[in-house]
Amino acid sequence: MKIAAVKRQPVVAMPFLNHGSYRIRYELEGRPDAPAYVLVNGLTQYAELWAAYREALVARHFRVATFDLLGQGGSDKPALFINQDDQITALHRLIGELGDGPIFLSGISFGGLIALRYAIEHGKRLSGLVPMSCFAELSPQLLLIGNALRTGLILGGTGYLQDLLLPMNLSDQWLKPLLDKLDSVKRQGWLVNDLYALQNLMESFLDFQPLTPQLSSITVPTMILNGEFDFLTPRVLHETLRVEIPSSSLVIIPKAYHAFTLEKGALTADLLARFAEDVLAGRWRGDKAVFVAPEEPGGELTPFPLGYDHLRAIPVQRAST
Amino acid sequence: MSGFFGPLDAEGRVPPHQQTRVAAFLMSAHGALARQFAYTLPTTLDSAWQTELNAQFYRETELVTLLLRATSWVPDPGLGYMAVTWESAWYPVPIHEISDWHLAVAAGLATLAHAVHAGIRPAALLPVEANPDDPFVAALRRIEFESGRLLQAQILLLKGSSLVPHRDVVNAALERRHSEVRKLWGNMLQSVGVALGDSNDEKP
Repeated sequence: MKIAAVKRQPVVAMPFLNHGSYRIRYELEGRPDAPAYVLVNGLTQYAELWAAYREALVARHFRVATFDLLGQGGSDKPALFINQDDQITALHRLIGELGDGPIFLSGISFGGLIALRYAIEHGKRLSGLVPMSCFAELSPQLLLIGNALRTGLILGGTGYLQDLLLPMNLSDQWLKPLLDKLDSVKRQGWLVNDLYALQNLMESFLDFQPLTPQLSSITVPTMILNGEFDFLTPRVLHETLRVEIPSSSLVIIPKAYHAFTLEKGALTADLLARFAEDVLAGRWRGDKAVFVAPEEPGGELTPFPLGYDHLRAIPVQRAST
Repeated sequence: MSGFFGPLDAEGRVPPHQQTRVAAFLMSAHGALARQFAYTLPTTLDSAWQTELNAQFYRETELVTLLLRATSWVPDPGLGYMAVTWESAWYPVPIHEISDWHLAVAAGLATLAHAVHAGIRPAALLPVEANPDDPFVAALRRIEFESGRLLQAQILLLKGSSLVPHRDVVNAALERRHSEVRKLWGNMLQSVGVALGDSNDEKP
C-alpha cells in the first residue's frame, strides 16, 4: 500500500451529503448495481487513505463508498461539539444513497466503533460487518491512553499526536524505510485535520457508554479483524465482540499492529472481499471461531490451534470450561 | 490559484507581498484579541481563572510583536481598505441571549478567540520547500502552534458548566464567528493568489 501523498491533493469537485447544516464529503466508485462496501475512517484518517481498497474491491466487483466523518478532512468541522449520534445519522444518509443492494460495512478503530453502533441501530440494512482494531468499551488502559493522547494533542498539536500514534500503531518493518521521511508521511493527515476538530472527535467519548450489552443485537455476519501485536486495542477488546456477537468470527492478522489497514492493505482488502463473497454465496459460517489470517493475499485462513488460548501471547493451553 | 504560499524565492522564502498582507491580517486579528483581553483583565486578579486571561493577553501581544519583526514588509496600497474591514469584524459581540452581561461579553470574546485560534492555520499554507530557518516561516509555525494552546482556554469556557444552559446560542454564535473569520481569511488569501481548500468555505 502506498503511503499518504506528500502534497495536498488538488481541489476537485466531490459529492457532499447534507446532515443538518453540515456537509459530509464522500466518494463512490464501482457499478451502482454491485454489492457495496462502506469504509469508515479511524480518528486521524481521511477518505483518500482507502484509495488502494477502492481499487482492489472495485476489481472484485464491489461498489465502494468512502467518506470523511464529521470533523475530518473535507467534511464540515463542527466548532464545539461532535456527537457520535450525528456520525451514525450521517453514515445512514450515505448508506441510503447506495440503493437496496447488499451493504457491507467496515471501519477501523474509531470508525470501527461507529460501524458497531450503526449495526446495533440499523443492522437490518447490512449484509455484513467488519470491525477492525475495534472496541466496544473503554478498558482502563484504553481510557488512560486516550486521555494521554488527548493531552498530547492539546499540548503538542496534531503533529505530536501523530508522533505518538505512528510508532504505537505501525511495525518496525513499515517504519524503518520511512524514518528519514516521516514528516512527509504525516503531512497530509496534518494538513487536512484541524486540532480543534480532532479534539472534538476525542471528546465525543466523554459521555461514552459501553456497547457490550447491545452487541448481542447485531445479527449480521461479522468478521472481526485484530492485529497480532495491536497495542492500542489488544485482543481482549476484540474478544468481547467475538463472544457477544452471535454470528461472528475473529481473524488475527499476523505481525500486524493497530493500523494494519495502512500497512497490510492488499491482505486486508482481500479478506474483506472474501468475507463478502462468502456471505453472498451462503458459504460463510459465523460460529465464533478464531482464525489466523495468511501473511499474503489469497492464502488460507488457519484455525487457531485447538486447545490454546488465543488471548495469550505465549502458547498457553486454554483452561477447560 | 495555489493551495500554498509562493512561488518561494531561491532561499525558500514566502514572497514579500504575501508576507505583508498575511502578517497584517494576523496582527489585526491577534492585536484585536490582545486589546479585548486587556480591557477584560482586572488590575488585581481575584480568581484563579484570571491568570489565564493574563497569559492570553501577553501571548497575543507576543504574536503581534513577533510578526512585526519577522515579516519582510513591502508597501501595499490595498491594505488600508482591507484593514478597516478586518478591524470592524473583530468588534466585540456579546451573546445577547445570555442574561448575565459579564458572561455574555466573555462568551462573545471567547467565540472570536476560538474562531481565530482554531480556524486560522497559517503554517498549513507553507509549502514543504519553505525554509525552516526563515523568520517569517518560523513565525507562522509558532503562531499556529501557540493558537492550539491558547484555544484551550476558549474551549474550557465555551464547553464549561456556566454556559451549559446556553449551549444552543453559544454554538450558533461560535459557528457564525468561525464562518466570518474564515471568510475574511479566505478573501485575504485569495487576494494574494492562495486558495483555501477548506470544505467549510466551499458550500455550493
